[in-house]
Amino acid sequence: MKRPLVLAGAAITALALLAGCGGTDASDGKTTLSVAALEGGYGRDMYTQVIDAYKKSHPGVEVTLQISKSIEDEISPNMKAGRFPDVVVLGQGREAALTETLIKDRALEDLTPLLTTTVDGKPLGEKLTDGIVGNLNTNPYGDDKTFLMPMYYAPTGLFYNKGLLAAKGWTVPATWDEMFALGDKAKAEGIALFTYPTAGYLDSFFFALLADVGGESFYTDVMTYREGVWQTAQARQALDITTRLLSYAAPTTVGYANQQDFTKNQQSILDNKALFMPNGTWIVGEMADAPRADGFAWALTPLPAVTAGGNRYITTSVESVWIPGAAKNKDAAREFVAYLYSDEAAKIFAGSNAIQPLTGIAETLPAEQAEFYQVYTEPGVAALVGGFAGTPPVEGVDIKKTLFDTANSIISGDKTEDQWQAALHEASEKLRQAA
Amino acid sequence: MTLQRPRRGNGGFVLACLLPALILFAVFMVLPTINVFRMSFYAWSGFSPDPRFVGLDNFTRLLDDDNVIRAFQNTVTLLVVVTIVTMSAGLFLAAIMTRQRLRGRNLLRFVLYIPNVLSVVVIAAIFSAVYDQENGLLNGVLRVIGPDTWQQVWLGDQKIVLYSVAIAMVWQSLGYYMVLYMSSMASIPEELYEATALDGASATRQFFDLTLPLIWQNLRTTLTFFIMSAVNLSFVLVRAMTGGGPDGSSEVLLSYMYKQAYTNSSYGYGMAIGVVIFAFSFLVSLLVSRATRREPLQF
Repeated sequence: MKRPLVLAGAAITALALLAGCGGTDASDGKTTLSVAALEGGYGRDMYTQVIDAYKKSHPGVEVTLQISKSIEDEISPNMKAGRFPDVVVLGQGREAALTETLIKDRALEDLTPLLTTTVDGKPLGEKLTDGIVGNLNTNPYGDDKTFLMPMYYAPTGLFYNKGLLAAKGWTVPATWDEMFALGDKAKAEGIALFTYPTAGYLDSFFFALLADVGGESFYTDVMTYREGVWQTAQARQALDITTRLLSYAAPTTVGYANQQDFTKNQQSILDNKALFMPNGTWIVGEMADAPRADGFAWALTPLPAVTAGGNRYITTSVESVWIPGAAKNKDAAREFVAYLYSDEAAKIFAGSNAIQPLTGIAETLPAEQAEFYQVYTEPGVAALVGGFAGTPPVEGVDIKKTLFDTANSIISGDKTEDQWQAALHEASEKLRQAA
Repeated sequence: MTLQRPRRGNGGFVLACLLPALILFAVFMVLPTINVFRMSFYAWSGFSPDPRFVGLDNFTRLLDDDNVIRAFQNTVTLLVVVTIVTMSAGLFLAAIMTRQRLRGRNLLRFVLYIPNVLSVVVIAAIFSAVYDQENGLLNGVLRVIGPDTWQQVWLGDQKIVLYSVAIAMVWQSLGYYMVLYMSSMASIPEELYEATALDGASATRQFFDLTLPLIWQNLRTTLTFFIMSAVNLSFVLVRAMTGGGPDGSSEVLLSYMYKQAYTNSSYGYGMAIGVVIFAFSFLVSLLVSRATRREPLQF
């Protein structure tokens, strides 16, 4: 009598312990759409508002929202177990590289048909700003198929204190020669020309520089790993300019270029210890509470031109929305993504400074933001979108790390420009072979 | 009949009591470990439904990957440096605290033990303040007592960044091992010390010829802990303090494994590195255990 009781007790305990691992699915006849979003600098309220508005116009759909600053950590375990969210708002360039991983896996849903879907009486493709779709950011395999829809866009470039330049009577350099001349002038006054928060922030710098040096076709060659592209004269020129710029870097840069201390590098701009750093428009909010020099005011400039009057590119950071290929409710998901570009939704997003790439949105921006978006209207300046093309994973090869992180070793003198170029060539060739 | 039945009953009861723990152990320890070994033979991004079997490819790639070799060297360096420093400092402090009857030793023990209960994020924040190149504690002190050349960029100089991490590891674990050694030293009967003192043994002689041999079993156990903690703690500290940088110079095996598995979409390759770490830790523990085997001394 007792033994079965004991065994039953033990079995119940064991089951109870394991029961916590299971999940439940509610089903009340409605389609339940699960949306996962990264909680970026724009906050989470705009998502709940957009979802509420969507539910009002689509009573048959229930939308659940999962939002977090580290959304990858929260959705990855379920995804590994085969439970995918229906819609994900998450861009490339994050450390966890979840979007990149799914691109490499070809595990995203083709969203090309969405561009012809009618939103507010117009095909969605026509509502979007020119050139925002059809680049490596949205069409990661370099063909005409769109897998990631551009969600918000923001210019990145060199941020500086325009108050300091005005006080010293210095002008924003238009060419690299002027830049280095300014570097010498600033050095004489104990100010460094350049710094970066961490080496990873050099992405906006490098992408623009590559396009400045060799035009957009060369930029695309680098991003798609064309054979021998890192041994060309243009690649060498880009590395020459960078190596020279790094010799002007603030001495504290490398020591602070880690997750713990990177804000100290950003602080050196606020303290007038360094002139320029690559960053994005979020820097204003990120450092809002930090102490600053008198008369400080943020400003953004594109990289100086390689030759006087030459083209200058602004690397544009674009957040993306995508549908996993393994999502359950793909039709409902597509409908929801199309809704995100409606005038109703765009207004809610813009209220939180999340600017969508829709034609005519620039006129509606608040003054502080509008100033940053002004860079696109400067003469000879063009937007540059994209990043390295997706390839099947190559073990031990991470070309972004090779391109950006080596800057730390260049500043400290642990590596030479030749070694940098050779490592880039090797990584690029391995990725090309995998692609 | 009367002898057999209770025994069988007992067996069932024992099994039933063990069952929940056994199930948990199997599900959360044995299965994942087997999976690590299995996945190391596959090329898999971590998400796709079709991992591709590649045999030993992941392991042959490891040998060509300079980053793995550097991470391995860093792990071994940390293992050796942290073990030697923590062990000798822990023993030294424990001997002083137990034998010398220092005033305020309880307070000292408490202070030295505190770092052990701090979270790694807090430790990283503390050391970020200590190592700050401009107004950090360390450079501040060096500025006062020595020439400018003594000051260093503790987390930015590729030649010393690993040792900066090692100092944080020693600081974190010293108190724990000191308390361990103190407890075993305290159990050595006082008469033995009195007897050796009468024979004219100095404190140093007593330490090497009496204390050390009598706590030898304890030392052996802690050596295994050192190997585990050097591997595990180095990962969390490196991740929180340097992220493996600058330019990978403080990367350790586990942090490189994490990067490959989770940010370079090479889950199978990451697991192959995991297998190497497993084999390495296992082998070193075994060797250390063999090398330090002595006839246990009783008192």
